[in-house]
Amino acid sequence: MSEIKKSTRTSFAEAIVEVGNEYKDVVTVAADSASRYGDFVKKFPERCFNVGIAEQTMIGVAAGLALCGKIPVVTSYANFLAFRAIEQVRVDIATAGLDVKMVGTDTGFSSAWLGFTHLALEDVAAVRSIPNIVIIDPADATEAYLATKAMFEYKGPVYMRLRGRKDEPVLFGKDYVFEIGKGNVLREGKDVLIISSGSAVYESLIAWEILRQKGISAAVVNMATIRPLDEALLLEITSSVQSVVTVEHHNVTGGLGSAVAELLAEKRPDVKLLRMGVKDTFGTAGSEEMLKAYFGLDGNAIAERIKSFLKNDYKSEVN
Amino acid sequence: MLKKEELVYLQEMAKKIRCHIIEMTAVAGSGHPGGSLSCTDILVALYFREMRIDPHNPVWEDRDRFVLSKGHAAPALYAVLAEKGYFPIEELKTLRKTGSMLQGHPDMKKTPGVDMTTGSLGQGLSAANGMAIAGKLDGKDYRVYVLLGDGELEEGQVWEAAMAAAHYKLDNLTAFVDHNGLQIDGPITDVMSPEIIEEKFKAFGWHVIDINGHDFEEIINAIEQAKKMKGKPTVIVANTVKGKGVPYMENEVDWHGKAPTQEQAQEALKALRG
Repeated sequence: MSEIKKSTRTSFAEAIVEVGNEYKDVVTVAADSASRYGDFVKKFPERCFNVGIAEQTMIGVAAGLALCGKIPVVTSYANFLAFRAIEQVRVDIATAGLDVKMVGTDTGFSSAWLGFTHLALEDVAAVRSIPNIVIIDPADATEAYLATKAMFEYKGPVYMRLRGRKDEPVLFGKDYVFEIGKGNVLREGKDVLIISSGSAVYESLIAWEILRQKGISAAVVNMATIRPLDEALLLEITSSVQSVVTVEHHNVTGGLGSAVAELLAEKRPDVKLLRMGVKDTFGTAGSEEMLKAYFGLDGNAIAERIKSFLKNDYKSEVN
Repeated sequence: MLKKEELVYLQEMAKKIRCHIIEMTAVAGSGHPGGSLSCTDILVALYFREMRIDPHNPVWEDRDRFVLSKGHAAPALYAVLAEKGYFPIEELKTLRKTGSMLQGHPDMKKTPGVDMTTGSLGQGLSAANGMAIAGKLDGKDYRVYVLLGDGELEEGQVWEAAMAAAHYKLDNLTAFVDHNGLQIDGPITDVMSPEIIEEKFKAFGWHVIDINGHDFEEIINAIEQAKKMKGKPTVIVANTVKGKGVPYMENEVDWHGKAPTQEQAQEALKALRG
């Protein structure tokens, strides 16, 4: 991990300008959220629309634009997109598979100081309950940039999670490859498989280091695409690694942990699974760091929990 | 002014469409005859006189668009599309059957000629805005029509979209309100009055025209007036009768979402055919 810091929002804004240059049909629709598009608004003002604080209409307008040959991007706080406008997403966009890119921001704990209304901890569950929508939860600014590019190479509805304005550690360099539907093995390991996405990936890597120092060999997979889930990769790894831990800055219901649990319950019933995330409760105001600690989802807490999870059947020479 | 033969043609077509609505819903055993019959004349005026469309090319880029925001009036739209030649009239008998192209509410992926999936009230105007914005952006001269129910105006999203349409000066957009005065739970003014509809749209920056929604002359004049309006969207508040044309259904709220029995259908057809 480098020392460089950058927010996922910043790299989205950079990528969307490049996308705008490349695809003349890309238009943006905002709900008083146009600043998320960065310089796109200055560069292509005629391709930017703002419906005001009206997320439902934002989705409807995007659907109409898509039906007339445009490739609309919409953005709002994840909760206002994935909850307030969810029926519009379902009826107007998902059912017909319209080519609309939906970007929910401030996910996980990234804007926790705003309180529970803005803490997006259930958005993946909401969107994942609707057919046809690809869900991407990039781990860092590099991946957010690549995923933004990739979602325009894909034809169909995409929901991408971004975080707040705060700069975060950049985990991946120029050589990083993002492909929709493919998980990335960030660390190889044989004792336990950690699967995470979004801001939980950084914490999982910290946990990996702590575990390594304790002699525990953990594999870490960044599952940036939550749907479609990279089932092939998980089945391959779990053919040898028998303990799996999912880590997400999201409710344990309906998100990445659920997706993995559904797969393993059907295809790998012998694998031992621990889902780490927010345990079916609401968030509370605070700093991002405070919230991670509060919910036991920072690197230290993850490592501790994994150690106790492995204790019963852990066979490493260290124990 | 409509020529006499044009008027007769439209009136005869409306009669045919109303007969289809009765037959379809009777065969299906469910459906929404009341609100389908009230908007029939508007749909006939649009599809058989005004709209620039090609039934052989339902996805023609330059076509005029129509969004049935009050999606429960699907039987009226399906009958119009079938008579227009988008699909065989025989299909109408499959309404609401498993696997049919004719779903209970319009599904653009299933039915040729349906421009927008609807059924959840309040959403159609937003999508129509998007279509109208795209037309402006591309310098195209197609027009976008959307039909809303009067009860539907109780949905908040309608007013978000009404604001946006005026803000973006969508003069290529014409909305109709099928003002039949009834919704499932009773008269709209008893349940949750959206009145005064004309004043509300005016306040939202729209050009407003008030007409008798069963008079083709008035419907067509209003559409022509809307086409000439610059810098503002137009709403045509069409005063209509729920269940129009079937005496025992007229102004009866019970016929909002109930299909006639075969016997009742025969009686309705007799009345319609005169």
